[in-house]
Parts: sequence; structure tokens; C-alpha cells
Amino acid sequence: MVARCSRDSWDEAAGVAAQAQAIRDRAVVLAHTDGKVWEDALAALGNAQAEDASNARRDFALEQKLERAAAAPLEIAELGADVAALAALAGERGEGTYRADASAAAALAAGAARAAAHLVQVNLGVRSGDERLARARASQQAADDAAARLLGPTR
Amino acid sequence: MSRLSTLSDAELVQRCRAGESDAWNELVERYSRYVYAIAVRGFRLSEEDAEDVFQDVFTRAFGRLETLRDDSALRPWLAQLTRRRCLDAISGSGREQAVDDVLADEASADMEEVEEAFAVREAVAGLSEACQDILDRFFAQDQSYRTISDELDIPSGTIASRIARCLGKLRNELEANN
Repeated sequence: MVARCSRDSWDEAAGVAAQAQAIRDRAVVLAHTDGKVWEDALAALGNAQAEDASNARRDFALEQKLERAAAAPLEIAELGADVAALAALAGERGEGTYRADASAAAALAAGAARAAAHLVQVNLGVRSGDERLARARASQQAADDAAARLLGPTR
Repeated sequence: MSRLSTLSDAELVQRCRAGESDAWNELVERYSRYVYAIAVRGFRLSEEDAEDVFQDVFTRAFGRLETLRDDSALRPWLAQLTRRRCLDAISGSGREQAVDDVLADEASADMEEVEEAFAVREAVAGLSEACQDILDRFFAQDQSYRTISDELDIPSGTIASRIARCLGKLRNELEANN
């Protein structure tokens, strides 16, 4: 919205608005995928707990489902970082009237990135050395940094 | 990118007429998706029928290239050949949809989308390789700014602006082509 309203004063505005649209489309698909793969993983976890005996095939299938469930929040964290970066750019170069809207968008995106990184860590039980967690946290940090450019440091 | 991929349609047609097989391969490569998209999305043909149309259109094009009056009008000429062949396929298949309905469908949003997608593809081909690459990564491969930054070794804070500038150039190309 900020980019669309800044077309008269910012020559990159249309290109930034197009990127925002593309990210939004991606996020809708990803949110749906995230819910679906997590439901699958939960169902598989429930089945595994209901069975007493160890089963290599079942355990492998469960691991695969958890891997897929890990991928979605990680991508959401990266999308959050991208949205925050776009919002920061729009806030700094777009129409000043809409800077507060850009700041709000950056803050929300940073929150989404933080929540997604938290899901990667807690829900999937990954360890601190896991590469996925490192990527998620880097995205969270990038989103926080972008939001701080408009809002000032949060801590 | 092959040496022939940078040729204009008119130059490509001239080379095809001169009997250069590589030029013919490039022509088929350049327009295969277009012909297939008209058959599948514009006329709702099955994959099997679309394959037949595809084969037949390029066979006819090869045999009739001498009849093309304006070498730069290759695309509309191929589109016309494809539409006619699709109508032949529909009338020969016993499909209950009337030909008039099909002609109405032809002007549908799907058909416009095919044309628009192809126009964008042509315009993208006119951009620098760097712009083509970054637009492909972001819009076609859904890569994040961070992934683009890591793979191209450019600062992540500049990616969105670079993409925006490339989109501006793409718009200029589209306007010039139209």
C-alpha cells in the first residue's frame, strides 16, 4: 500500500509493490502448507505413541513428516525477513505520509519471523546446532534489524 | 544461452529458409510452449490432442515457411496455424462443444493470459543477463532475498531495489514491444 501510494514520488515504487504482491501470494500458499504438514506430523506422532513396539519403517516415515513440517516455518521466517526489508525500504523512500504504515508492516513481519523461528526450535525439537534453526534465527534477526530502521531498537 | 537465441524472429526465419537446422531447432524451442499453451489453455485440448496439434503445427510451419509474408510476424502466424489446427481437432473429436463456443473461449482470459505471458517472456529476453537472473530467482524460483544475496554474493539490503529497477526496465521493454 505504501509503495502503491508513492508512485508519483518514488521511481522504484511500482517494482516494490510488485514484490510485495508476489510475497503475499507466496505467504498464502505457505500458510496453508504449514497447517497441512503440521497436521500430518501430529497424526503420525499420535500413531507412533499408540504403538508400543519399535518400527523402523514407521519411524522413518515420521522423521520425513517432521522434516517437511520443519521446512514450512523456516520459509515463513525467511518471508518475514523479506517483508520487513521491503517495508523498511518503502518507509525510508516512499511518501512520508505513509511511514507509520510501513513501520507497522515491518513490526508485524518481524513478529511473524520471530514466531516462525520459535516454531522451528520448540515444536520440532531441533538442537541449537541445527542448520535450519540457524537460518531461522538469522531471518528473525534480519527482520528485527529492518524493523528497527523504522521504529528504533526494540530492546 | 545459445548464439541463435538472441536473433530476432525475422532473422531466425531467414536462417530457417536458408536450411540451417540449428535455426529450426531454435524456432521450435522458442515457440513450443506458446503453441502448446494455446492448445491446452486456450482450447482446452487433452494432452494427447495437444501433442498432435503441436506436431502438426510445426510440420506445417516447416513446409509453409515460404508463404510467411512478413518474417517478423512469425508469432501471429504460428498462432493462426495453431488455432486452425485446434478447431480441426475439436470438430474431428466429436466433442460436444460447438465451434462458435470455442471461438468465444478463444477470446477468454486464459487466451489473453497466454499472450501476455509470452509478451513478458519476450520482454525479459531483452533485459541484461543480470536482470533476467534476479527476476527469475525471485518471481519464478521463489527465492528469498537472503538466498539471492548468498548465491549472487551481493548485499541483501540492495536486492529489493535491484529487482525494482529490473522491473522498471522490463516495463520499458514491454512498452517498446507494444
